[in-house]
Amino acid sequence: MGKKRCVAMLLAGGKGSRLYSLTKNLAKPAIPFGGKYRIIDFTLSNCSNSGIETVGVLTQYQPLVLNSYIGIGSAWDLDRVNGGVTVLPPYSESSEVKWYTGTASAIYQNQNYLSQYDPEYVLILSGDHIYKMNYEWMLEYHIQKQADASISVIEVPWSEASRFGIMNTNEDMDIIEFEEKPKKPKNNLASMGIYIFKWKVLKELLEEDDENSHSTHDFGKDIIPMLIEKNRKVVAYPFKGYWKDVGTVQSLWEANMDLLDDSSELNISDYNWRIYTVNPNHPPQYISSEAIVKESLINEGCTISGNIEKSIVFQGVNVGTGSVVRSSVIMPDAHIGENAYIEKAIVPSDIHIPSGMVIKPKEGKDDVVLVTEEMVSTFIS
Amino acid sequence: MLKTMLGVIDATTYHHDLEELISHRTLAALPIGGRYRLIDFVLSNMVNSGVGSVAIFPKYQYRSLMDHLGSGKNWDLDRKRDGLFFFPASITDGDSEGIGSFNQFAANMDYFYRSKQEYALVANCFTVFNMDFNPVLIRHLTSGCDITEITNKGDSLEVYLIKKSLLIDLILTRDITGYTCMKDVMLDLNHDYKICHYEYNGYAEKIDSISAYFEVSKEILTAETWNQLFIKERPIFTKVKDEPPTRYTSTGEVKNSMIANGCIIEGDVENSIISRAVKIGKGSRLKNCIIMQKCSIGEDCVLENVILDKDVMVGNETVMTGSKNTPFVVRKGTVQGALMNS
Repeated sequence: MGKKRCVAMLLAGGKGSRLYSLTKNLAKPAIPFGGKYRIIDFTLSNCSNSGIETVGVLTQYQPLVLNSYIGIGSAWDLDRVNGGVTVLPPYSESSEVKWYTGTASAIYQNQNYLSQYDPEYVLILSGDHIYKMNYEWMLEYHIQKQADASISVIEVPWSEASRFGIMNTNEDMDIIEFEEKPKKPKNNLASMGIYIFKWKVLKELLEEDDENSHSTHDFGKDIIPMLIEKNRKVVAYPFKGYWKDVGTVQSLWEANMDLLDDSSELNISDYNWRIYTVNPNHPPQYISSEAIVKESLINEGCTISGNIEKSIVFQGVNVGTGSVVRSSVIMPDAHIGENAYIEKAIVPSDIHIPSGMVIKPKEGKDDVVLVTEEMVSTFIS
Repeated sequence: MLKTMLGVIDATTYHHDLEELISHRTLAALPIGGRYRLIDFVLSNMVNSGVGSVAIFPKYQYRSLMDHLGSGKNWDLDRKRDGLFFFPASITDGDSEGIGSFNQFAANMDYFYRSKQEYALVANCFTVFNMDFNPVLIRHLTSGCDITEITNKGDSLEVYLIKKSLLIDLILTRDITGYTCMKDVMLDLNHDYKICHYEYNGYAEKIDSISAYFEVSKEILTAETWNQLFIKERPIFTKVKDEPPTRYTSTGEVKNSMIANGCIIEGDVENSIISRAVKIGKGSRLKNCIIMQKCSIGEDCVLENVILDKDVMVGNETVMTGSKNTPFVVRKGTVQGALMNS
């Protein structure tokens, strides 16, 4: 294998428990998003568009769909002779399977993968966020600052700062302190969970951390504080742009709705920064004479006979005559019968909404409804 | 030995009546159905019928066809053994009368000699249909035919099934027999070959004129035809493009239309087929139109019975009307302003 300047390690093993039934059989990065994509498409496309061709994807929780989805990476132009995408599940050594217990230990266990390329730099990413970013710019910043580690940060509203991992910096953007969910935040620069390390430096730290039985083997909680303690150069890379964690039903719904907002910074129609995905093969969408479609995004393979308003409709969805879909996200291959009413809901893949069913937030509450099989069964009976 | 078929697609045809749409790109590459090219139908049918080796013989302006097909990956024909073969014709060859020109095959005999398949399916590139060719092979074998011609509603579909060794024979003896193509053999009464016909009952339409192209496009919008062409178990494959989902705004109404991805629809669209990355401005009204890729239609336009080839820009307040049988066709890349006449 040829030597690489920078190898990306994409952490895609998370469970996403706050997404309930959506992640019951599906890892969070494989969750459908934006009418056509899966969450991981953003990070993978960012790698491809940034010229980072060697990407290790660390899977763990419910990896079947994710592993076969990624395949050999052709969809993101990551099917390369030297490098490309490699799926890295946990594996057994001698007598036991070594599960990934923390973000740092997951990287540590894949040293052999990284040694193949002997990179100068390692880019740590997660597959949980929706954003467009040129990692090459961050790498150049890291090199220019002669840093041992760079952490990408984004300004968050002060009122929300206590929900994030906050980086306290000096005027030169050196990180002097890291505070996880501080009650009284000293700064409003939140960690995006994107790190660049000099591989030699990271390797040493991981070895040390592995021997520490009190450690949770987490980048944010253990590795970064270790670096700061040792007075290594850790800098903050300021990112400006749209960045959203879609770890809850509410935030997933909001991020989808953001795509319908003209003023939103998230532009998926930018031909200079395409978001690649595995394209299923469908005929173009068909809008019937009875349909009314307003302010919505509709993908291929849909047959629409009802009213769609301010909604995101994924591929292969059928909406029957007389049905109304408002402010909702209808995931791939879901079917909606006739004269149904759906408002402010997420309808997961393959769910069949029977004719006449009404789905909307409870009286007085505003929460997004995540439709489940149980709800459908209850309605039928 | 397994009774297997190889596929041969004759993509040399030039129908003069389609001149405005095929002067710069070969007929096989004609965009149709919002996201397909004409050749996708016969090519997908072959692949869905289990054919793993397909040779395409193009002639004129085949750059976009070559770009569309690539290595054949999208039709599962990017293989280590067999797969997709592309044999452009020499322009100095004369036009042949019918499908399956023996002169053209003669220039590429290696393909036939090296293929392990026993039977050859020789087809045209311009028929819109979704058909399984296996029943044709079975009938061909059980009836002991030499050549089977597939017909639809009594007319020849210009798709022939023939034993490969016989085809090779016909190619090599063409100067003696005077047969220039498959059709010549079918029409001649002087040979001993057993000619059979297989009548296919499903939807099958040849695109040999602008009006046929327009008619067939309208028919695709009906459930009856749609269900015969877009079958889940036998999908029509095409080149994959990374376009975002289509955006519908607060203005504009779409009725009975087929819309590909990457479009931004702000106007009214009725009974139309809109290809990918098309923009339709506020206040514009389209009826019975076929709009190809990346066209941009401004605001307050009226287009009725119009075919726009790719990359056409239509300025604000332009009115273009064709008639039901003679649609108004705009060539690729043209800019149309408000003062242009029908």
